[in-house]
Amino acid sequence: MFNTALEAIQTIARDAWGFMAGLLVVVALLGGLFYSLQGTAGAAFGGSKMAGNAILGVIGLVILVMFAFLVIPELGTMLQNLKPGAPF
Amino acid sequence: MSGTGDLLLNLFRDAWGALVGALVAFALLALLSQTLKSASGMALGAQDWVRDAVAGGIGVLALTLFALLGVPALVEAANASFPNSAGCGPITELGSLAVRLLGGLGALRMLKATVTAVMSAAVGGQGSLSAALLEAGEVVLGMVVASIAVPIAIHFFGLCSDPLPPGVACLIN
Repeated sequence: MFNTALEAIQTIARDAWGFMAGLLVVVALLGGLFYSLQGTAGAAFGGSKMAGNAILGVIGLVILVMFAFLVIPELGTMLQNLKPGAPF
Repeated sequence: MSGTGDLLLNLFRDAWGALVGALVAFALLALLSQTLKSASGMALGAQDWVRDAVAGGIGVLALTLFALLGVPALVEAANASFPNSAGCGPITELGSLAVRLLGGLGALRMLKATVTAVMSAAVGGQGSLSAALLEAGEVVLGMVVASIAVPIAIHFFGLCSDPLPPGVACLIN
């Protein structure tokens, strides 16, 4: 009885995962574009602080995306391995 | 009576497995959503979002680890606090059945509280951890009180002439 409910929940969760992963890629690309624009503007007008912030922002976004796509699945595997049996 | 107890316990075990699976799925989604929030905050220059997302992600991870590691340990400790032979004759069977069912229900209640807390943390809810811990404490307290009440009630009604378990006798005297 509960396995059916769990399968339904997991199907919805997989859909939500795909949606959010896609959204993350879009947001990261837009953020990268914004920081590229900021960096270019900074370089063009001699704003070294703007260019520095833009480079740091891009690096931060890359780290976040790598965290999402490399670390979270590993965390998932770890949590799956930690699944306890019923203690009663 | 034993068959009924086994049936109910199997149902509880199924529910436990389903809740644990749902908890892991929700926790992973929550982590991804906090990462998305953090990336959006960075892209828009909203530092508060990034800070909130990092704190939320750590909270979700801590809650999940508590549910997967802490709850079974708490339930085993609470189950061990029940006296092994809380009566004589048929009351012993009834007592052991009640103890097993109480343990199962308590475990499910604690896990349900942590699943709710993870879901709440995933959408930025506040006060969820305290509510989950309160419910867990309530369950453990209820189980400990029941472990004292069962032997006392049995002796009060004169159903058993065996001496009370040492801890309970110490409490009464």
